[in-house]
Amino acid sequence: MFCILRVYAFFSSGLCGSQATEVRVSEVEFNPNFVSRMIPTLDWSALVQAADGLGLLQGLPAELVTDYEKNEDFLRKVHRVLLEVEVLEGCLQCPESGREFPISRGVPNMLLNEDEA
Amino acid sequence: MTVMEEAATRLEREHVHSVYEKIAPYFNDSRYKAWPKVRQFLLEHEPGSIIADVGCGNGKYLHINGSVFKLGCDVCRPLVDSAWSQGHEVQLCDSLRLPYRDSCFDGVLSIAVIHHLSTKERRIRAIKEMARTLRVGGRIMIYVWAMEQTRRKFQKQDIFVPWNPNPPSPTLGREQPTPRRRGAVQSMSECLYSDKNRKVKSTSSMLEKEEMTCSPHQSHRLWFFSRSLDSVFDFGSLTISRSTSRELISTVSSRLGEAEGGKVGRRGRGAGLIEQLSSLFSGFSRNNSEEDVFDSVTDLARSQRDHVNDNHSNSTEKTSVSTALVQECGSVALPDLVSSYQKERTEGPGRPGEKDAGPPGDLKQDSEGEPAAASCLRYYHVFREGELVELIESHVEELHVLYSYFDHANWCVVAEKVQVWNI
Repeated sequence: MFCILRVYAFFSSGLCGSQATEVRVSEVEFNPNFVSRMIPTLDWSALVQAADGLGLLQGLPAELVTDYEKNEDFLRKVHRVLLEVEVLEGCLQCPESGREFPISRGVPNMLLNEDEA
Repeated sequence: MTVMEEAATRLEREHVHSVYEKIAPYFNDSRYKAWPKVRQFLLEHEPGSIIADVGCGNGKYLHINGSVFKLGCDVCRPLVDSAWSQGHEVQLCDSLRLPYRDSCFDGVLSIAVIHHLSTKERRIRAIKEMARTLRVGGRIMIYVWAMEQTRRKFQKQDIFVPWNPNPPSPTLGREQPTPRRRGAVQSMSECLYSDKNRKVKSTSSMLEKEEMTCSPHQSHRLWFFSRSLDSVFDFGSLTISRSTSRELISTVSSRLGEAEGGKVGRRGRGAGLIEQLSSLFSGFSRNNSEEDVFDSVTDLARSQRDHVNDNHSNSTEKTSVSTALVQECGSVALPDLVSSYQKERTEGPGRPGEKDAGPPGDLKQDSEGEPAAASCLRYYHVFREGELVELIESHVEELHVLYSYFDHANWCVVAEKVQVWNI
């Protein structure tokens, strides 16, 4: 199971999780290559902000460490936050408009209403 | 929102979104497999790549290639839930408003999705949205249903297709004991086959074999032709001269005339027009749509009568042909079910649990609680050869077409995101 937080990093305008009422943590096999290849494409500050908001920061640095490919400790932290934590119920908030997007049953609903389109 | 946009949204809601919501449970059938070339596209990406499947349905492509990260999105809640329960990362969103950042994906899939958008402008917007989320150098693969099938061609590009949860299998061939009807159907099917349009080469010989063994009367595939919303709103280029379209033109002109000097609010005028359009596009059981099918195909029937075989000559009564026209059109499985034939062939006849094809011409396939075919008409804009390539080359400068091909009744394009310099 993959983590919704990673998706936050992909959302427009740096959407970040403002609330999570239900979170699930599962165990996922650690693949350092996979994790380190993913990192460059993430919006790091968005990820950190989201993790922090969920109280899951757990030592994740505010800025990317240099030479992270070889830093297993760091990669494991990223792995946990990216791949092992899931938000099952909660919501995402757009920092610009304040518009909230619900997450239910693990799926964020990013559909806009007709008047918003 | 413009009137056209409103009409398009409404059409898609009624004839794409709500249909998929109803038929979602049936999509989990193993009949619906991944196209091999799509699988290949996914496997070609470097480990650690990030790929988005826009319009992922129940996520059948999301498990391919464990070394890349895939996420999917779709507008259909039950399908997305189904994908999530398989362990995939998915969201609910609209293909015209993707919630993703610019340039974040290495690859994007759009498999059998944009043909559900009802105007050219919306199809372009969807492609541009996906291109926006691709990084420079990233690639997109797009599959859409082709107008030109292997041995036949859809007569029109904008069609409604009913849902058939139990498509006929050639290996279970059971002759229906209605010779007269069979004759009628075959003569009508002859009419729909346009041999002169047979310019498309099939990449699959398996498909051709299947088509020959599956005779017309076993099928319940049928569709109703439609006008595209684009043509409806483009008054200058309307060439159809049937009574319904004349009606529409006069309705629209009079409504627009009313609005000019009258106090009718835009909303009121637009809503009324949409009602009118809606009834034309969605009311397949009404006379309007039936007339359309009659006109287009009986005309063709008349001109092609010489080509019809002798053994169909006993069923030339116009009523029986007309009935057959409305109720049964064509024998070839539609593009999303082609792979099902391959599976069933390998499994052999008498597959346990396979239901009867059912009596021909029975529109209300309500047996065993399945959604009635009447309520599950899906809208498609099927693409002509070259149309998808032209759409991208003319309207999406940020994508460069790498190659295009025909695959199992789909037109396919792979394109690369390029940097656009605005001087």
